[in-house]
Amino acid sequence: MKQILIHRCAAMAIIVLPLLLASGSPVFAQNSNNKDVSVREILRLPGRVLAETKSARPEGDLKVTGYRVEEVQLPRTVNVEIRGQQVAVDRAWRVTVTGGPFPVRALPAVIWIDDQILGNGIENETLSQISAITFDSSLIRQGGVVSLSYGENKETRVRVSQRLQLKGENQ
Amino acid sequence: MSTIRTYIHAFCLTVLLLVSAGIAFAQDPGAPGPLAVTREEYNFGDTAFQPTAFPGPVELLASIHYPTNLSGGPFPLIVLLHGRHGTCFVGGTQLLQWPCTANNSQPIPSYKGYDYLSEVLASHGYVVVSISANGVNAVDNSVFDLGALARAELIQKHLDILNTFNTTGGAPFGTKFVGKFDMSRIGTMGHSRGGEGVVRHYVLNNSLGAPYGIKAVFPLAPVDFNRFVVNNAALNVLLPYCDGDVSDLQGVHFYDDARYNVPGDLAPKHYVLVMGANHNFYNTIWSPSSPFPGATNDWLAFVPGGHSDTQCGTAKGNQRLTEAQQRGTGLAYMSAFFRAYVGGENQFIPILTGDAPPPPSAQTNNLFVSYHAPDDPALRLDVNRLLSDTNLTINTLGATVTQTGLTPYELCGGEAPQPQRCLPDEPNARQPHTTPSARSPNRGLSQLKTGWNNLTGNYNNQLPAALGNVSGFQAIQFRVSVNFADARNLADLAQEFRVKLTDASGSSTSVRVSDVSSALFFPPGRVGPVPKVVLNTVRVPLSAFGGVNLNAVRSVQFTFDERLQGAILVTDVAFASAPPM
Repeated sequence: MKQILIHRCAAMAIIVLPLLLASGSPVFAQNSNNKDVSVREILRLPGRVLAETKSARPEGDLKVTGYRVEEVQLPRTVNVEIRGQQVAVDRAWRVTVTGGPFPVRALPAVIWIDDQILGNGIENETLSQISAITFDSSLIRQGGVVSLSYGENKETRVRVSQRLQLKGENQ
Repeated sequence: MSTIRTYIHAFCLTVLLLVSAGIAFAQDPGAPGPLAVTREEYNFGDTAFQPTAFPGPVELLASIHYPTNLSGGPFPLIVLLHGRHGTCFVGGTQLLQWPCTANNSQPIPSYKGYDYLSEVLASHGYVVVSISANGVNAVDNSVFDLGALARAELIQKHLDILNTFNTTGGAPFGTKFVGKFDMSRIGTMGHSRGGEGVVRHYVLNNSLGAPYGIKAVFPLAPVDFNRFVVNNAALNVLLPYCDGDVSDLQGVHFYDDARYNVPGDLAPKHYVLVMGANHNFYNTIWSPSSPFPGATNDWLAFVPGGHSDTQCGTAKGNQRLTEAQQRGTGLAYMSAFFRAYVGGENQFIPILTGDAPPPPSAQTNNLFVSYHAPDDPALRLDVNRLLSDTNLTINTLGATVTQTGLTPYELCGGEAPQPQRCLPDEPNARQPHTTPSARSPNRGLSQLKTGWNNLTGNYNNQLPAALGNVSGFQAIQFRVSVNFADARNLADLAQEFRVKLTDASGSSTSVRVSDVSSALFFPPGRVGPVPKVVLNTVRVPLSAFGGVNLNAVRSVQFTFDERLQGAILVTDVAFASAPPM
C-alpha cells in the first residue's frame, strides 16, 4: 500500500510539475527560469525519435495503432522536481500514442508506461494523436508497455501491442 | 396487534406522502410557463477573450433567452456553461482546434444544447444565458487545473458584459436590457468540465469581493479535479448513474466536501442520482439525435462491453432513459433548484429535499434525491457525522453510541487512518465517494461500514436529555447504500431495516425504511463502472413516530431485524428540516 502511495506521489509530481510549468503558476515561475517554456511549446519542438511503432491493426475500442517516443531538446534549462529532487533539465521526453480518432472527453487521456503514469495526454487537432511529456528519463525504459486510458483507471487501459524498442542512449 | 399498528403506520405514511406530492404537483417546475420567450445571441469574436496564463484565446459568444415582454423586470439571471467536447467539424469529422481554421470547418455549437432548459426558465420570468467555451476546450488539457480557472474567468467576463447591458447598455442590444437583469440573483449551471467551472467561478467571484450575487450553483455530471467547495450558496449536483464519461461520478465530492466545511453555512446542499441516465444526453448537441460529429451515447461509446450491461446497456430489460426522458430529469431538477433558490419560488423545495416525488416533467421516478440541511440549529441537529473513530462510540452530540451484533463496525473512506476506500477490491469507478481527484490529495467521504448476520443487529445513538426535544424538526434522516460487494446482500434484492426512536419514558416506535424510501436498493449493473455505491438520503418524517414524545427523545436506533443478514454504508445521521418555505 505504502509502495503504491509512493509510486502515486512520484507519478503525480511528474504530471504536476510540467503542467504547472505550462499553467504559468506564479509559485513555479518564481523558482525557475523557464516561464517561457510551455507544454504547448514542448509539443511543437522538434524531437529525436527514440522508438516508433505502427500497426496496421488498431487495438481496442480506442483504435490505437502505435506510439512514438522522442527526446526533445529544450530551448533553455528548466528546474523541475523528479521523485522529490529538484533538478535542472535541458531535455524532455515526448510520448505520442497514435490511432483514433480519439474521443474528446471530460476525463483527460492518460499515457502509461507499464504501471507508471507518464502524464496527461494532450490531443492534436485532428484527434489522431495524444501526447504526454515527462522530464524523467527513467520512465522511458526498454521493453516497457505503452498504454492509454481516460482517467487513471488501470482496468480500462488500451495497450500498444509492441513493447518499447529504444535506440541510442536510452536503451 | 403489532400487525394492525404496522398497517396504520403504513397508511398514515402513504397519506403523508400523497399530501406532500399533491403540494408539489400543484405546479411542475419543468412545465412551460405563461410568458412568451425571445432568443438572441451576442458574439464579440472567436478570439475576444484571453484567460489568465491560458495557452489560447477564447470566444465571447452566448445565447440569451428572455421574456419577450421585458416590462416586468429586473429578472433573475441563470448562466449555463457546457463542458468539454469537440470544437469544430468538417463534414462528419470533429476537430479540436480554436478558432476553426481547417478548410471549411465550422464550430460545434455546444452552447445551444440546453435551449430546452432556457426556454422553460425564460417562460417563467428568468433571463438565461448559455456561454460558448470552445476556445477553452481546445487547449485545456495543457494546463494544470484542466481549464477550471479559464472557465471561471470566462463566466466572470460574461457577467461583466451582462452587467454592461444592464447598466449603460451596449451593442448589439442597445439599451434594451438596461435595468432588466437582477445581478444580485444569479444561478449557474455547468455540465461536465463546466460543472467544475461553475464551482471554480463561485470561488473566483467571492475572491473578487462577490461583485455578482451567485445564489445557487448546479454542477451537472461534473468533474471535480481540484476540489473547490461551494460554501454559503445553494448547491445541487446531478449524478447520472450510467455516466460513461465521468464514470466515477466524482462530482459527488462537491456535496460531500461542502457539508460541514464552514460553520453557519445556511445554504442547502443537494444531489440527485438519476438511474439510467448517461453523460451526454443532457446536451442536445452531444446526443445521438444531433447532426453534429462527436455526438454519442457515452455509455456505449466509452465503456468496454457496455452494450451487455443489464442496467446501462442495451441488454433486455435495461433501465436506460431515452434522450427525452433524461432531459426531463434535468429540466425538472434544474428548474426546481433555480426557481426555488434564485427566484424564491419556495413551493419547489419539497422536490429538492425528496419530500415530494419527481414532478411529471422528470418523466421518471427512478431517481434518488439527497439533502443536507442548512447549518441552523432550528433546521439541523447532527446526531452522528461519522467523521472519525471517536464517532463509533461517542456521537456528534457527545452522547454514547453502541452496537450489537454488527460486523464490521468501522469507518472507511475519510481521513487517515481510515482506509482510503470502503470496498478495497472494487475499482474507484464503483465507489464515487472515495474516488481520487486528479489534482487534489483530498480524501473522500467518511462512512460507517457495517453489516449483520442475524436478526439482533442494532446501531444505537443516544441523545443527551438537553437536546432531546426534536419536535421542531421534520424528519430523522441519514445517507445509506447497500454494499453490493458484501456477499450478505443478495444480488438484485433490496435490503431493509427499521429506524426506531425511543423517548425518556421508554416508549418507542419504529419505521421500516422501505415505507418511506427505496434507497436500500441493490445497486444495479454488471459491467465496468457499475454497480456502484452512492449513498442516498432517507428522510423519515417524525410524524411517523406516533406514540413517541418528540419533546424528549433519548435514542435513535437502526434495528436490523427485517433481514437475516446484510451490509450497508451509512453517514450523516441527523434530525433535519427543509429550508424555510
